[in-house]
Amino acid sequence: MARDTNDLLHGTLDLLVLKAVSREPIHGYGISKWIEQRTNDTLEIVDSALYKALHRLEDGGAIAAEWGVSDKNRRARYYSITPRGRQMLRAEVATWKRYVAAVTGVLGTA
Amino acid sequence: MRRHPSFLPSAVRRIFELPPSTARVARELSDEMRIHIDMRVDELRALGMSEPDARAEALRRFGDGDEFHAYAARRAAKRARMHRIGEWFSEWRQDLRFALRLFRKHAQLTLLVVFTLALGIGANTAIFSVVHRLLIAPLPYRDGDRIVMLSMKGREHGYSAPSGDAVNVWRTRAHSLETIAAVRVDYIMVQTPGERDSIAASITSNYLRMLGIPPVIGRDFTPEDERPGSPRVAMISYGLWQRVYGGRPDVLGKPIAVSGRTDNPHIIVGVAPPAIGLPISYNPPGSKWREATPSIWIPTSLDSLAEGYTYAKLRAGASAAQASKELQGILDSVPPRSSGTRDAPAALTCCARAVRPQDMLDPRETRTVEVLFVAVAVLLLIACANVANLLLARAWTRRREFAVRIALGAGRGRLTRLVLTESVLLALAGGVLGVALAWGILHAVVAVRPPALENLDSVRVEPTVLLWCVAVSVFTGLLFGSAPALLSIAASAGDVLKSESRASSGDRHARRIRSALIVAEIAMSLVLLVGAGLLVRSFVALQHTPLGFDPHGLASVQVIFHRGPRQQVPEKQKAVLGRLRAIPGVTDAAIGVMPGEAFGVAGERLVSEPDATGQSRSVVASGVTFMSPTYFRVARMSLWQGRVPDVETEVSAVMGPGPIPSPTEIVVNRSLAEGLWPHESAIGKRIHSAAEHGDGLSSTVVGVVEDTRMPGPRPALDAEIYRPPVPIQTPFVVRTTIAPADLKAALSHAVLEADPGNIVYRITIGDTYLRDAMAPTRFAMALLVTFSGVALLLSAVGLYGVISYAVTQRTREIGIRLALGAAPRSVTSLVVRSGMNLTVAGVALGVVTAVGGTRVLGGMLYGVRPGDPTTFTAIVALVVAIALTACYVPARRAAHIDPTEALRAE
Repeated sequence: MARDTNDLLHGTLDLLVLKAVSREPIHGYGISKWIEQRTNDTLEIVDSALYKALHRLEDGGAIAAEWGVSDKNRRARYYSITPRGRQMLRAEVATWKRYVAAVTGVLGTA
Repeated sequence: MRRHPSFLPSAVRRIFELPPSTARVARELSDEMRIHIDMRVDELRALGMSEPDARAEALRRFGDGDEFHAYAARRAAKRARMHRIGEWFSEWRQDLRFALRLFRKHAQLTLLVVFTLALGIGANTAIFSVVHRLLIAPLPYRDGDRIVMLSMKGREHGYSAPSGDAVNVWRTRAHSLETIAAVRVDYIMVQTPGERDSIAASITSNYLRMLGIPPVIGRDFTPEDERPGSPRVAMISYGLWQRVYGGRPDVLGKPIAVSGRTDNPHIIVGVAPPAIGLPISYNPPGSKWREATPSIWIPTSLDSLAEGYTYAKLRAGASAAQASKELQGILDSVPPRSSGTRDAPAALTCCARAVRPQDMLDPRETRTVEVLFVAVAVLLLIACANVANLLLARAWTRRREFAVRIALGAGRGRLTRLVLTESVLLALAGGVLGVALAWGILHAVVAVRPPALENLDSVRVEPTVLLWCVAVSVFTGLLFGSAPALLSIAASAGDVLKSESRASSGDRHARRIRSALIVAEIAMSLVLLVGAGLLVRSFVALQHTPLGFDPHGLASVQVIFHRGPRQQVPEKQKAVLGRLRAIPGVTDAAIGVMPGEAFGVAGERLVSEPDATGQSRSVVASGVTFMSPTYFRVARMSLWQGRVPDVETEVSAVMGPGPIPSPTEIVVNRSLAEGLWPHESAIGKRIHSAAEHGDGLSSTVVGVVEDTRMPGPRPALDAEIYRPPVPIQTPFVVRTTIAPADLKAALSHAVLEADPGNIVYRITIGDTYLRDAMAPTRFAMALLVTFSGVALLLSAVGLYGVISYAVTQRTREIGIRLALGAAPRSVTSLVVRSGMNLTVAGVALGVVTAVGGTRVLGGMLYGVRPGDPTTFTAIVALVVAIALTACYVPARRAAHIDPTEALRAE
């Protein structure tokens, strides 16, 4: 069951990552933890996929990366959202909500 | 999150940041992965997991590690590549910005370079377009270069039409010909609803197909249409369709009456395209024999078009020369009866020819165009030399800039790119401006074209020509613009920084190149100027030619009488003369031609009767003029000796068929009289044509008239005969005070009043005629004067640049001289002398070149010889004067150098 959920997640991973990054600069591990916490561990993210999503977003100009130092004094690469990323996020969230509403509508009548 | 301490603005930080090498990006990616795993291990251990278990779990959660490593390597490589391209573009943008900034800073220099290049490119593009239109691709058809006229070339005189038999053997045997088509302009009257006097032409049914142009509407002719007995069909011209039928498509199927045959009209089946016409004619455009533009085209078989024009399309790959050879070979192999033209003697028809349009151009016109082409090429060379000089000077002053850049770590490649960017920008700007100039020049050229270059009216800046010129100029721009700069980059950096601005060996080398360029420029300008000067003198001489008649207020009108018996012609002539004389403003009229437009058998050999010692002489007549008794008075020609035969028309002579017999009394011109009877009076002497024998056929000279001539380069004065008119189509001349603008209408009206059946074929106005006769010389003169003037200007600018640059370089030396007590005047003369040395060398080289070079003008000159000392002296003086001025300005500046300032500088 967990496996299927992961598959579903894969298509929307970019959206979740963007959301995670939108609050404050955050490193890859932080993003992974954040998503797990917010979903009460229902979604377990494959870390390499997370990094690929980060790089995709970075190349697209949605997020920027910079080396920094973590609270535990560890060197880490911090990701933060760009104005362009914020715009993307707004648009994607709206699309996602319409999509969910539509699917819910269909499933509700069944 | 804490960041690295960073107090520098990001732009500065970026300079010190290392470029993203592939290895570094890959390392960062694997670092990130390692840190991520460490963080998870820490957390799992905090939850109480053992170290190995925690690590195993962290690795599992990470996914396929090997796959991620491969991905990381790919990504790193891609990132580095993108970065390099971005870097290249940003550098290139920097170069561009730098170049533009430099151009703005040196706006004058930049404008000078761009404008100089534009002049060279513009003049070349324009003249090459002319050459292209006249000599390379004269026919506007798809395979226009394969259309030729089949013709016989005479040994003594021009061309004549081949016989029908000859055309027939060629049609069956010639392999170099693909199609043969023919046309004959019939000066017959065609009545259309809105126009009379429409001229019809007969063409073979394949005529349009040979030219490769389809009818605008309707159908093309088919071979069936040629056959006698098939329905009579016609095509009308595009012009007639628009004028008379308003461009309506329902014109198809309408009847049109050719030669008044309203009972049996032709049916219009198509509208011919505007491009239809006679692709090649024996008569150059603007000549009085040039065929009128037909309005109606009627299909006729090739056999019945022998006396018209026969054209052929060459097979692909065959040249006109090959075709000529083959055609003559075929004639040689058939019995003599069927070769040559029907009636003409062999001297007039020696060789079969496939004639191209460019072969029919007057050799003088062709030469003019060639000379102009060479002139603009020289102009481009001068322009390039100037640009090279300017950029050479700048490159030298930029040595320090380059040296500093190299010292700061700029690669040679980077500097080369910078220099090339600048040169290409300059050349492109010059090219764009040059095209605009070419367009203007072309318009000016068309406006002053002589009548024979009618083809030029449709000339435009050919795209291929343009491309070629821009390519050439960019190439030359690069070559001249960057070579000096590249050289100075190659000069080692340390050397330049050390040697300050004192003359090094490289400096001397550069100065020598600059001097050589200036000498060449002056020499080339001088050659062009001498050519222009010779043409100016020719033009002046032309204007002062004694003409022997008065063209101002003289006009001739050529009338074609409606078909009818010959006996009626004298009456018709008399009627036209009466009406012409009755026009208010016409003081007199006569039968005759505009002098110089003589009519009749040219090339006929005339033999004098044997004198007392039994000797007879002969001359070749250039023309026969039929004239009524008042002709000389109307044309204002002066009778030198004797009288004018008082015969209105020799009616008796020509009632039967066959050739026109010799008249009893004639007038000859002075050239003929002095040629045949150099030592005695011509009056009362008898002459006959070499082709005729027997006493009955000779004529008696009763008068000698002064020679007439048209202003134009002709080798010798011509022998002309004036005889009473015969009952054939004749031109008329009038002496009038009517303004040229209104004259044509008045004359046409009078001719039609005399008989509505008359056709006004051609009206020549004396003033226009005179202007047209001088047009070729005026054309060549105007353009060559312009181009050589520009050349001189460019050379002067170049000389000025070299001298003033030398003054700048020698500021310190001059300052020392002045400080040591040299008189300012001696400094001025020092500088002027250095410029004059170059000028003298250039003038000497130019004079030598011009002595040889102006010989090509030979046929274009009149009243002046190619080596004319007056012209040479004047031009040399002009060049020296201009050069003196160009040197004097910087020399004066040198004399005013402040010694203290000069010594403090640098």
